[in-house]
Amino acid sequence: MDRQCFCIWNMSSKNREDAIAELLKEFSFQKTTENLLQNALETRELAEPTVVHEGIAMPHCRSILVDDFMIVVGKSTKGIPWPEKKISIIVLFISPVKPSGPVEHMELIKHLAKILSSGGAEKMLAAKSPSEGASILKFNYDGNSGDE
Amino acid sequence: MNRELEKLVSLHDLDIMISDLANKDINKQEKKLGLSPDTASSELQKMRKKLASTIQRKHLDLYNQLAGYYGNAVVPVVNHRCSGCLTQLPTAYFASSGRNDHVDTCPSCGRFIYWCD
Repeated sequence: MDRQCFCIWNMSSKNREDAIAELLKEFSFQKTTENLLQNALETRELAEPTVVHEGIAMPHCRSILVDDFMIVVGKSTKGIPWPEKKISIIVLFISPVKPSGPVEHMELIKHLAKILSSGGAEKMLAAKSPSEGASILKFNYDGNSGDE
Repeated sequence: MNRELEKLVSLHDLDIMISDLANKDINKQEKKLGLSPDTASSELQKMRKKLASTIQRKHLDLYNQLAGYYGNAVVPVVNHRCSGCLTQLPTAYFASSGRNDHVDTCPSCGRFIYWCD
């Protein structure tokens, strides 16, 4: 999948809200946009924690506040309570609202579901670097963000 | 950003989440991931109701009317144009300071507009 992603490989957050905020910081949004997106992602999490596999969460939404796909992958060695289960890998993405509808958003969810359900989840949990993580999820990662 | 405008943007994002979860294909994929989109959707509806109750009646009525007519009631201004109807906004709209400090609507289509950062 030809999508760019950011990575943070040594997250310091100790709870779900802080983790979402830490990941959103990667995009350098202005404060208001960042707060509104944080609010949208937290709302989705409150409705149902997006734990898609043991140790993996996938906070996501579509929003009018972005004009392109925003994807960031985070890893925490100590684990982050989400809020009950401990999470090590977070795949956060925000899809833009396009006139064509949610087709591309659905394709991205489908893409991730396919990878995670076919052994990708275990590989992600064992991934040792951002580039390895991005490559398992078949995203482009330029290596200029996050921590090796 | 004006608090009321923030609520309208959040309401719009909530409506998108609810409609996404009602989408047959997305619902199927979320279930494949082990999520429960139907439970999430009913929770989101409750949250929507709660948020909507905090929005001024005149704005909420207009929002519902616009959402019903266009599908999207809140749109960003991109390159001085309303991204809903692509109409170039009058100079007075973007010349004023504190552009997101009050609730504004497009003079052509009537959608709520906000300026991107």
